[in-house]
Amino acid sequence: MRAFVATAVVLSLLAVTAPVRAQDAETLRREMEQMRKQFEAMQEQYKKALDSMAERLERIETRQEPAAAAPVPSQPAAAAPPPTLPAAVTTAQPAPGGMPSPMDLIRPRQPFALYERRGPGQLLFDVGITGDFVGNLTQHNVQKNQGGSFPGLENLFFPREVEVSFFGQIDPYARAEVRIEASQDSRDGDLNLTLAEGNLTLMALPYGTQLKMGKMRNRFGYLNEIHAHDWPFTDNPNVLQQFFGTDGLVESGFEATWVPPLPFYLQLLGGVFNGQNDVAFGRNQISNPLATGRVRTFFDFDEWGALQLGASVAAGQTPQQKNSTIIGWDAKYKFTPGGWQHAAFSVIGEYLMSLRDVVVTDSEGNDQTRFRNSQGFYVYAGLQPFNHGELSKWLLGFRYDRTQYPAASGTEWAWQPFLTYNPSEFLRFRLGYKQTTRSQCCSYLDFQDNGGSAKQVSEYFLQATFVMGAHPAHPF
Amino acid sequence: MTMRRFLAIALAATTAWSAPGAQAVSAADKLRIVTSTTDLKSLTEAVTGDLAEVDAMARPNQNPHDLEVRPSLMVKVRRADAMIVNGLELDAWADVVAQGANNANVIPGSPGHIDASRGILVLEVPKTRVDRSMGDVHPVGNPHYTLDPGMAPAVTQNILEGLVRIAPQHRAAFERNRQQFLAKIDDAMGRWNSMLAPYKGSPVVVNHPLWIYLLSRFGLVQVGTVEERPGIPATANHIVKLVNLMKEDRVKAVIAEPWSDFKLVERIAQETGAKAAILAATVGSVKGTDTFIDTVDFNVKTLAQMLK
Repeated sequence: MRAFVATAVVLSLLAVTAPVRAQDAETLRREMEQMRKQFEAMQEQYKKALDSMAERLERIETRQEPAAAAPVPSQPAAAAPPPTLPAAVTTAQPAPGGMPSPMDLIRPRQPFALYERRGPGQLLFDVGITGDFVGNLTQHNVQKNQGGSFPGLENLFFPREVEVSFFGQIDPYARAEVRIEASQDSRDGDLNLTLAEGNLTLMALPYGTQLKMGKMRNRFGYLNEIHAHDWPFTDNPNVLQQFFGTDGLVESGFEATWVPPLPFYLQLLGGVFNGQNDVAFGRNQISNPLATGRVRTFFDFDEWGALQLGASVAAGQTPQQKNSTIIGWDAKYKFTPGGWQHAAFSVIGEYLMSLRDVVVTDSEGNDQTRFRNSQGFYVYAGLQPFNHGELSKWLLGFRYDRTQYPAASGTEWAWQPFLTYNPSEFLRFRLGYKQTTRSQCCSYLDFQDNGGSAKQVSEYFLQATFVMGAHPAHPF
Repeated sequence: MTMRRFLAIALAATTAWSAPGAQAVSAADKLRIVTSTTDLKSLTEAVTGDLAEVDAMARPNQNPHDLEVRPSLMVKVRRADAMIVNGLELDAWADVVAQGANNANVIPGSPGHIDASRGILVLEVPKTRVDRSMGDVHPVGNPHYTLDPGMAPAVTQNILEGLVRIAPQHRAAFERNRQQFLAKIDDAMGRWNSMLAPYKGSPVVVNHPLWIYLLSRFGLVQVGTVEERPGIPATANHIVKLVNLMKEDRVKAVIAEPWSDFKLVERIAQETGAKAAILAATVGSVKGTDTFIDTVDFNVKTLAQMLK
């Protein structure tokens, strides 16, 4: 039908082209007007035909409802509902509660709700864009030694993370997320475009299990799985930066979770990954993998807040093929008074321990393997004490960091107060000050070039973050 | 001990032992249903009767727009046979809960994932392009349809159809329960209509635009909002304009939800000579609104008193 209309229009145009040359402008205008009307009439007919076909299709689909579907009971007159669309297609399913049989597990299921709430022209997945921009001011010698919280980007305002994310259901059994990220990693201003995450999760597996595969931010501790734009502070805590590097633990592989049917929340996780982390696990072989594990539980004190506790482990090999294990414990407490939209008070803390073999060169120039046990932690507290009005948009935060270096001797500690302003749910500004002290400098940190002048670091941070489009609800 | 006495004791002991067990089996046979809001909990209980244990994820005093996704919610969902959601982007957080609960019964696309908004006539669907400069707008329309008692037939029908997918053996009981509930709504609707009939066409100002279904059902007209735009707090300039508008239109009622900044609402009402009140935005959010019918009762009575 569409081809016919198009052909008819083209033929009509060709047919009138020759005589038009001979006619004056007025005649030409009249004929063009007439043609326009004819074309609109044809369009109208075409639309009516389409509507009629759609209606017929809908009638046929309605007739194909299974016999088991409920007859719609008559509505009480006074409570008559607004008009409704055709009833949902229903299919009898096995009774709940019992264990699924092998046949249940392999039988394809209908995508009952996949197209719910999706009108014509709507995407079948969500798209969101986030922008996170950071500025920092520090001493010149710190910039020279790249000893700031953003190594190599001292005294710059730069895009830390501009991210496009796509997420949604693939089919009734799995969902996927893809995050593409642009960020500035060096002073020259060039942007680094990377696949920050790209993974799928099989959600319809039996016995309370799920399997996630692809590239992902590992669920190690509290903060690692959260993207930088969602952190409650500006910079990566020192202990995570020293133990996992600037980007954290981001790996390709598999992660399985199990939530046993208990009266309290318990999540058990096990993972196998390539090991592509330059700092802690750089073996980069799935045959000699980085193995991860995590257990997470939760205590809900109702009006008195909630506490989440977790313990994580990651074991693999360093780029030098030496054993490396990191163990972490994390806790988060949040107090949200009844009826509040945000937490009035929250505390987050993580404690990490690194157990690894490192190669050191002795005084005679021989390489020796030594075992190192390093530890570090951070504690954050946030206070947002007003529920309504302009003051409710302000949050006062404080973080204390202390960590040893995992592959060299030395310790650093830092304290950091900051102020966050949220004009809306989708926009945020943050101002902070950070003071870092290092006990000594160490060769692998490259701070010795200027006589150890990155031992005392003072930094001012400015952060601006926005969210456009869809953004998944934050986990606790 | 005689044989007869021994048998009697054995029989009594067996009975005593088995009685609680029988109750436990009965409880285990019940469907486990989780709803996102207390409104849906009440409407679902009206359909299931005692055939199901129904639990709501949002507490009555919580704004269901933006719920904190606590793992304790995932415990509720972990063993659920069905999860009933409001839809229309009110409770998108429920999907995050379902993901964290590792329960294949309730993930989007599964038979136990029930969207109560299917096929209802949605109000305030934007007719033009919308963006966040307009505030926290709902691109698919206003999601607060459960505040309208006239929606109960359509919503309970959706719940019934969803539950029949997972428990077809209870279809007759569900239908019977639903009809009994709708008969009660039908009775009450006459009472509610007569209470608000004298005020048909009266202008009302709301704090947040979540009352449009309730107001429209009873012929009341929303003429303004305390929030400048949805989710965006009022500026001084907006309040001045709103006060002028209320005086011009002789607005008698300003209504707010329990989690709103009620001091501001009261101040505006005082300046204009109107009455301010908190209505029950969800079942249980105000004292004495433990069921769906109680909630509508409370809201209608409060509105009628304010408009006197």
